[in-house]
Amino acid sequence: MIEITEEDICLEEMIKRTKSKEAGAVVTFLGTVRDDGMERLEVEAFREAALAELQAIRSEAMSRFCLKAVEIVHRTGTLAVGENILAIVCSAAHRDEAFSGCRYIIEELKKRAPLWKKELGEKKGEHWVRRT
Amino acid sequence: MRIMVLAFANFREILGKERELQLNEGATVKELLDELAAIRPAFKEAAFDDTGALRDYVLLMVNRKRIDPAQDLSRRLQEGDELAIFPPLAGG
Repeated sequence: MIEITEEDICLEEMIKRTKSKEAGAVVTFLGTVRDDGMERLEVEAFREAALAELQAIRSEAMSRFCLKAVEIVHRTGTLAVGENILAIVCSAAHRDEAFSGCRYIIEELKKRAPLWKKELGEKKGEHWVRRT
Repeated sequence: MRIMVLAFANFREILGKERELQLNEGATVKELLDELAAIRPAFKEAAFDDTGALRDYVLLMVNRKRIDPAQDLSRRLQEGDELAIFPPLAGG
């Protein structure tokens, strides 16, 4: 499943959907809002283009790393410190493929998916986050 | 011809999320950007430097495919095209 949503992420459900008899490893990545001195984060997406890009990244990862299943959920809207932003779950026959596939997806997502974050807070004001 | 302009992040704050522009047939991407700059001086300041060159952090898509501002500003648009304007990506 590929999803961009304002709802919270249910990692357990994502893991359940990626498990199979052929998969001996399930790797998860959960991105959360870090306290960088702001109070909240606003996440914005070019939804249609981002969904298409995430689909393309998933297809690449599945064929490159022989993944059995991949789920990606990215949140949008206003998020508080500690809240979930992004979850990626990859299953594969072995751990090396699952780790590599998950790493590939997060790095490509950061480079290619049209999503943006704005930090907001009393002390720091507000500013759009630049990619790190 | 009608062109749909979508803007995101700081450019959305200046231009609004979407707007339809009427341009002359055969208008280029650069002409569309100039039109936006004429409508919204804040966009001109955000998108163009003092020499009138497009700033590096202005990214563009035509019909959801990235274009290279260094090479494609002279690309001619067609009726119904969608142009998206946004800063560098920062998801994840």
